[in-house]
Amino acid sequence: MDEWKPNPAAKPHKKRSWYLAWKYKLMNQRALRKLCQTGAVLFLLVTVIVNIKLILDTRRAAYEEEEESAQDYDDEMLNVEVPRHPVNNKKVLDVEVYSSRSKVYVAVDGTTVLEDEAREQGRGIHVIVLNQATGHVMAKRVFDTYSPHEDEAMVLFLNMVARGRILIFTIKDEGSFHLKETAKNVLKSLGSQVAPFLSWRDMWTFVGKKGGEVYGEKHAKSPALSTWGDPVLLKTEVHLTSVEDAECHWPDTELNRRRKRFCSKVEGYGSVCSCKDPTPIEFNPDPLKNNKVFDVPVAVIAGNRPNYLYRMLRSLLSAQGVNPQMITVFIDGYYEEPMDVVELFGLSGIQHTPISIKNARVSQHYKASLTATFNLFPDAKFAVVLEEDLDISVDFFSFLSQSIHLLEEDESLYCISAWNDQGYEHTAEDPSLLYRVETMPGLGWVLRKSLYKDELEPKWPTPEKLWDWDMWMRMPEQRKGRECIIPDISRSYHFGIVGLNMNGYFHEAYFKKHKFNTVPNVQLKNVESLRKDNYETEIHRLLGEAEVLDHSKNPCEDSFVPDTEGRVYVMFIRMEQEADFTTWTQLAKCLHIWDLDVRGNHKGLWRLFRKKNHFLVVGVPASPYSSKKPSSVTPIYMEPPAKEEGAAAVPAVAAAEQT
Amino acid sequence: NGAAVSRVRGSQPGQDSSRWHVVRKFLGLISSHNIPVYLIDPLILALVDKDIEQIRSSPDGPSPECKYFCAPRDFTTFALLDKTWKHEVGLFRTAEKMGFQWLKVINKDPRLDGMDDLSGMEIPLHYIFKLASHAIHLVVFYERSGNFLWHGPLRLKHHMDRKFVPFRKLHFGRYPGAFEKPELLLVSIDDLKVQIPKNPSSFLEEVSHSRFLECRYREARAFFQLYPDDTSLDAVEFRKKAKSLLHLATQTLNSLGVKFWLSSGTCLGWYRQCNVIPHSKDVDLGIFIRDYKADIIPAFQKAGLPLKHKFGKVEDSLELSFQGEDDVKLDIFFFYEEDDHIWNGGTQAKSGKKFKYLFPKFTLCWTEFVELKVHVPCETLQYVEANYGPEWKVPVKAWDWKSSPSNVQDNGVWPIDEWDNVIQIY
Repeated sequence: MDEWKPNPAAKPHKKRSWYLAWKYKLMNQRALRKLCQTGAVLFLLVTVIVNIKLILDTRRAAYEEEEESAQDYDDEMLNVEVPRHPVNNKKVLDVEVYSSRSKVYVAVDGTTVLEDEAREQGRGIHVIVLNQATGHVMAKRVFDTYSPHEDEAMVLFLNMVARGRILIFTIKDEGSFHLKETAKNVLKSLGSQVAPFLSWRDMWTFVGKKGGEVYGEKHAKSPALSTWGDPVLLKTEVHLTSVEDAECHWPDTELNRRRKRFCSKVEGYGSVCSCKDPTPIEFNPDPLKNNKVFDVPVAVIAGNRPNYLYRMLRSLLSAQGVNPQMITVFIDGYYEEPMDVVELFGLSGIQHTPISIKNARVSQHYKASLTATFNLFPDAKFAVVLEEDLDISVDFFSFLSQSIHLLEEDESLYCISAWNDQGYEHTAEDPSLLYRVETMPGLGWVLRKSLYKDELEPKWPTPEKLWDWDMWMRMPEQRKGRECIIPDISRSYHFGIVGLNMNGYFHEAYFKKHKFNTVPNVQLKNVESLRKDNYETEIHRLLGEAEVLDHSKNPCEDSFVPDTEGRVYVMFIRMEQEADFTTWTQLAKCLHIWDLDVRGNHKGLWRLFRKKNHFLVVGVPASPYSSKKPSSVTPIYMEPPAKEEGAAAVPAVAAAEQT
Repeated sequence: NGAAVSRVRGSQPGQDSSRWHVVRKFLGLISSHNIPVYLIDPLILALVDKDIEQIRSSPDGPSPECKYFCAPRDFTTFALLDKTWKHEVGLFRTAEKMGFQWLKVINKDPRLDGMDDLSGMEIPLHYIFKLASHAIHLVVFYERSGNFLWHGPLRLKHHMDRKFVPFRKLHFGRYPGAFEKPELLLVSIDDLKVQIPKNPSSFLEEVSHSRFLECRYREARAFFQLYPDDTSLDAVEFRKKAKSLLHLATQTLNSLGVKFWLSSGTCLGWYRQCNVIPHSKDVDLGIFIRDYKADIIPAFQKAGLPLKHKFGKVEDSLELSFQGEDDVKLDIFFFYEEDDHIWNGGTQAKSGKKFKYLFPKFTLCWTEFVELKVHVPCETLQYVEANYGPEWKVPVKAWDWKSSPSNVQDNGVWPIDEWDNVIQIY
């Protein structure tokens, strides 16, 4: 179990036979291609059916046997061991690389390791990294160097690959438009002769060893702007080295054995696999005194973004008071690489067969993960729920340890969340301050077991309802007027850019400038004032002390708030009833905070900071705090944008609701 | 510790101290890795139990002879709570250096089995450490929902050495088992410091009835494929109430020390769908009449469950019904054992008619149900089939307790003069 296996047939490989080579020669003969395709589809269908039947039969048979042999100590059920592929002793690998407008493929020793002929996808330079001793695939990436900045990502990636690895490149469609000098030079330094002259719609394949010899390169120039270069097929041989040469010689410890297993399988994680002074994989942060969340299980919800997961787990394991034994990573799908990351850190991971699609899939994954968490830790009263694209603050557990008793004792609470939706660089100031909010921010939060078991789990949306779990949890039927506790300065940071409901623009606009606490051991202020009744007293005290701002000025202007520090100011906006957020939304927009839906409110009150002053916004007359408004003050009303602008904003809102 | 060794050796010419040595080495191994184990070996605990008063009163006293760990046997069995150690590989390297051969038995994690399509890492269930002719069997216990400990079955995989030890002689592993979380006591026996269950005799009693049945999660999933689960608000509410009623009943009966099992619809729900059947409207339990206690009724009343009706009498067809929260009822049927079958009775209030429900004989197993450790008949299929017939897999909403069950028999009529006693409705 623990010894390292040099060449497990890890990736599911498709056998590439002579027939494919033949097929490519006949590429341009349409009728034949059609025939081949139809034949292939039929064959596939039959194979799938036969296989499913076989699986079902074996399962049933296996189960029956298990029941019968319950008296025996023989494990009949599991004796269908998959025969291991014999370890390939050959010292030479045959490599085939194909580049064309509509298709790329790479075959290693007759096994397809990359095949992409999807339309309108996979444009750019495909890179495959092979282990130089075993020949197996350690990383597969595609960089759309037709688009800006992707070449920088490629350079970053190539720099992280260890010396000695085999690199395979092939272009699909177009890969030169935004391939800048720096990137071309890196390719050149790898031994490519063509890279510096790659141009519009050229086809290109290259195989070489990082920091070593070149095994082959082929190139086809595009004859004219409107056409592509001819497809190129590069066939070459790669000489394998011995396993010893391919590995680093780290001292033999349990940690390094994990590191070795990881580094011989995957690439692209940089210094964790450096032979010299690799970055640590165990962090031993200071323990927390009187840690109330030491025994609280932590569920990390993950998909197939192993590099994100790697970054996330590093920050989580570095947080003071973390208890690695309570962490379980739930991976949505049978992905190997995220599991490799989990094992690198010595954590436990659980894979989840995907059910349903998109948002519903995420939602089902959440449910399965939460149920499993409470099954695995039956004594737990709470669970911490994290996602793979979060950085975790160094005092994350300290923050929870100081506040978790509220969730246990105050029935009017729904959750504790590490995330303040309105906590941007320019609107959050005080790491010791907590709020009560009527929204459920997610992004690093604590769930009470009784809430889950008694209320949420039994009526969790079923797969056919394509709902987001978080939107569902925010619905009044579930939340039932309860509130969440959040910090002024977030204890998590959302770094994910690629995601189901995420893109670069969206991230830049709404997440990048979020404030994130980096101060250790913050002592939270006046935690008891967060209890239901105490909080009202606290708000009344604050409002009593607050100076009313000049309502004749434009609240969007910086000058609306005086150039002071540490003061408390209040402004009143128009809010006709509980659900009237017209003015608030406009105000949020001009303050550059979350404006896509309403977040962070408590009884028609919002709390944030402006110019280092506490800044309160009260919605009049809907808020019960309206009575604090001096009669001379007219609540500010801000017009919603004109119709067409509103229409344009709709897709953005839709996107936001899924975040 | 050399002096102790020689003394033990010297003082016991008749006894074989090689087992003692293996145990001592093993205890040294695990204490060097800070792994808390406790002794669960039935043979040794039975010996210990005889002298328990003396052992308790002198926890550090030197032993004049090797009385326990030298007793003839092939194994010594210890338990390990999974959550108290970190699965360090270092333990096994040290073990090897000390001369131990070891074997690990892993399998699926049953706590994830009930879940749709989750596959975790396999978990270690048993370890065997062998040194010369003696072996240590280390059983790994896991905490389960329902506040109890579970150990897995010992099943050898294909590539494993079947002759590593005489597996059939092991005390644990033939079946999975369920146990209460034991209170532990640190004692010194035969000059070895070791943790044992504080009350060895009750632990030994538990061992003999520890067999655990996992719910049939796979079949339950198949059932829900055919008959999608009812997730309406009513169903959710009923399940919640049934669950809390079952929790209350379990607590009440356990505190009286009365053994019970899931019966009728509640048992069917467990067996068929691993959940409460939402349209069943009550919770059904079975109790052997020999376990009947007069304080059952007052205990339930004290727990806030008033008696709704009482049919029959202790000698014949006793049946109690308690009123739970909002219309959810708790029915307790008492079972009478005959030579070749077991039966319970039913009574129709308005006519005084008696009914008899026959079951093949069964034994009791533990299971986990709605976060509780409860009993079910081990021979569940026969039990359910007796009650619901071969079509038990098909949900039926209209159920008549007098005619629908396939094991119902007419059993005459109560004499009129007994009616006041055997038909009590509140």
